[in-house]
Amino acid sequence: MTFLQPLILWGLPLMLLPVIIHLINRMRHRPRQWAAMQFLLAATRSSTSHAKLRNLLIMLMRVLAVLTLLLFLARPLVGGWLGWALAAAPDAILLLVDRSASMESRVAGADESRREYALKMLADAAGEFEHASHLVLLDSATRKAHEITTASSLLELPYTQPTDTAADLPAMLQTALDWLIENQAGTAEIWIASDLQASNWQPDDPRWETLITAFDSLPQKVRVRLLATTQESPGNASISVAQLSRQQASGNGEVRLAVDLNRSQANAGTATITRTLNGVATELEARVTGQSTRWRHRFAVGDQAGGWGKLELPADGNPRDNVTYYRYSDNHPPAGLVVTESALGPLWQAAASVAGQVGRTPAKRHTPGNVTPADLRDATLVVWQAPLPEGEMAGTIRRFADEGGRVIFFPPGQPATARFVGLGWGEKQTGGDAGFAVGRWDEDQGPLANTDEGLLLPLTKLGVRQRQQVIGQAAVLAAFDDGQALLVRRVLGRGEVYFCTTLPLLAWSEMGDGLVVVPMLQRLLADGSRRLQRDSVAECGQVGAGDLQLEWTSIETGQRGDVQTQAGVYQSGDRWLVVNRPAAEDEFERVEDGAVAGLFGTLSFQLFQAQRDDTALQGEIWRLFLFLMLLALVVEAWLIRPGSMAEAVPPKPQPPAA
Amino acid sequence: MGQPLLARFPMEGNVSGHHRSPHRGSSVEFAEYRNYVPGDDIRRLDWRVFARTDRYYLKEFEAETNLRCYVVLDCSGSMGFTGEHGSRLDYAKRLAATLGYLVINQGDAAGLLHVTEKTATEIPPRRNASHLQVILDALGQAQPAGGTRLVPMLHELAEKARRRALVVILSDCFCDGDELRDALQHLRYQKHDLALFHLLDPLELDFEFDRPVRFVDMEGSQSIITEPATVRAEYQAHLKRFLNKLRDNCHEFNADYRRVTLDQPYDKVLADFLTERARHATRA
Repeated sequence: MTFLQPLILWGLPLMLLPVIIHLINRMRHRPRQWAAMQFLLAATRSSTSHAKLRNLLIMLMRVLAVLTLLLFLARPLVGGWLGWALAAAPDAILLLVDRSASMESRVAGADESRREYALKMLADAAGEFEHASHLVLLDSATRKAHEITTASSLLELPYTQPTDTAADLPAMLQTALDWLIENQAGTAEIWIASDLQASNWQPDDPRWETLITAFDSLPQKVRVRLLATTQESPGNASISVAQLSRQQASGNGEVRLAVDLNRSQANAGTATITRTLNGVATELEARVTGQSTRWRHRFAVGDQAGGWGKLELPADGNPRDNVTYYRYSDNHPPAGLVVTESALGPLWQAAASVAGQVGRTPAKRHTPGNVTPADLRDATLVVWQAPLPEGEMAGTIRRFADEGGRVIFFPPGQPATARFVGLGWGEKQTGGDAGFAVGRWDEDQGPLANTDEGLLLPLTKLGVRQRQQVIGQAAVLAAFDDGQALLVRRVLGRGEVYFCTTLPLLAWSEMGDGLVVVPMLQRLLADGSRRLQRDSVAECGQVGAGDLQLEWTSIETGQRGDVQTQAGVYQSGDRWLVVNRPAAEDEFERVEDGAVAGLFGTLSFQLFQAQRDDTALQGEIWRLFLFLMLLALVVEAWLIRPGSMAEAVPPKPQPPAA
Repeated sequence: MGQPLLARFPMEGNVSGHHRSPHRGSSVEFAEYRNYVPGDDIRRLDWRVFARTDRYYLKEFEAETNLRCYVVLDCSGSMGFTGEHGSRLDYAKRLAATLGYLVINQGDAAGLLHVTEKTATEIPPRRNASHLQVILDALGQAQPAGGTRLVPMLHELAEKARRRALVVILSDCFCDGDELRDALQHLRYQKHDLALFHLLDPLELDFEFDRPVRFVDMEGSQSIITEPATVRAEYQAHLKRFLNKLRDNCHEFNADYRRVTLDQPYDKVLADFLTERARHATRA
């Protein structure tokens, strides 16, 4: 608790004034020789306890009135969050700090971020307990418990500094739970500082239920207090690279970027974007409409080796989401490999052909029996229309996908028991005269996504007469009206495996016109280029364990960088690593207060909505003390009211007749 | 004050006086006839009745004797209570002196018994006029001090005074009510006529104080600081219970209980007392 007029606190001894007056008054009592002492003693024995209690209450009310008056005049600054400090000290306080990129949003009217604000509040509140409780910091980036000795060090610790990561609140609470169990802490409180971003809290995650049950079953009482930094922020825009591809067209190589721009305001206009390419900055302008815009940008790179760059927005409400990094790789032309014995071989070869200096080069073709690992060395896409590979060949194809290659299987026409990565072919189905209509597909990503110009692939016009069911669990990218899959995907290492349930044969479908199958295979060819690149792309906090073993140097600063928490382009030997903040951090959706309270179920939970303008909170405290003072005076007046003091005085007794 | 002090019950004296005696003897006041029983003095036989009825009857007459009056003055510390109307002991002394004067002046014997916690002064009843001065001197020297020994003194008196007497007690009776009851019963058992002047100051009854007071016990060192307004009701309830009980006890043993507040003129108190007794004696 702090005070605007702390000098007035020197007057606190004045609260003893009623006691002193009472003592002086006692000394001034007139002595009276009394004969009928036996009745007086009897009377005081029965009424003194009541009278003493009342006198004590009167004195207490007077002391309280003076005390609250002094505190009122001293203008105490006690906010709801700091007010928690008035509670009894628990054995342990676990400080869960959200260090996600969204916490770097500036607070409107202040030159500090939500994280800095939250840290100050936490430090102030925890400072009251640092001598009585164990303070344990648990940050969202490392999710490791660090015991701290002084609350003020929170502002300086490396574990509280800004990051480009996302936060996983259920995981943080799980870590807190593990710490409590492992350390057998007594009474504990969990203080959470977060901006309630929905992607961080994941309110629909089933882990919540398990967590709360586990907390409930702890022998000690655990209280949760949440400091929600949901203050108003200035306008904000974020930028992220959604897609990057290097194309070789007519001898001029170019890099194509699909950039997502998200803004807190929905007005149309122009956004200024600074593109840095290999250290050279260029200012660009992008037309934006609505809150979310996908801006496509391409620039020529010729035949040069790979490069790196970043796209940057001007300073706004959150500086952390104004930059996104990218890296385009060395020129490794994609190559396709068709594995089939059917007559569709030439069609696959043409659809998976690659444009080069001297026209298009069709994909290589092999039969399943004569494919060797050497054939796969330069390939980026394998089109497989044959019985699923088994044995050694299955291992070879699996490794190919693990390395980042793309594999797409087309139906062999007959059901088989063979499985590849848990997927296999089921029965062939015929759709009759009406055939099967495609009902839905993923238009945003994957091989069936919309074109750069935003045009849909003509899947609605695709007539399908026959299909072969896929058996096994996989993500459905396109499905027919009846719910059966047209295209499914299974991620395997750095690569992906697809199963398409129809063939570009007239007996099967109209896919043979090429309007669907060509862009689909061309995109898979381009995506599979990652297999030949030495670059890694990761989200902050999600860098693979293998990459974490390496020593990375930031290409921007030339210093060793923390790839787990800081976005950037890093290099380690001949390997490159591009780290960007998770896309979900750019979402503005927050969890409602009621929903947050609901997540904690039966746990003792308090939510404090941080307000930038503390004056209102201080005012409430003034009013509280003023109210307390008036209340004390009213109670005191009630206790000393004439009717109360002489309530039992009967009329003057008449001497009874002898 | 023309009324004599009369006893309400027969008295035993050694000289003739105004008071009824329990004995039948020779006097002018016929009392009753009764049958002769062996042992009676045959000189007291009424021969005329024998002649008419052939039966032996004795004619009895009321004996009249003198009164022995003991004035018991409580001189405990509480009797020194002084209120707006003066000291309680002074008031008691005036009553005692006046009673002594009345008794001796009507030819009866008056004695004085005053007692403090440590000393006891007893002046036996005498009839001669010079004895009044002795009583007045003793009253003049009486001072309030210490606790009360009124109850043991009354028991002692009951044992010591063999002949019936009038015992007038002047006290505030601030002692154990049950013990006082026993003492009164003891006196009545010895056929003494009892009169109790219960002396109280109006302040003790009303307990009206306008500010906190430190009350100091007049018979000890105990003191208590209290807000009179807060304990007033309780105090008066306790006092009322005590007064009612004392009055009931006195009525039970046919003692003449007279509650006197110090704001009452003592001559009026005595006049009422004497009138009441005279009326009672006439009825008897």
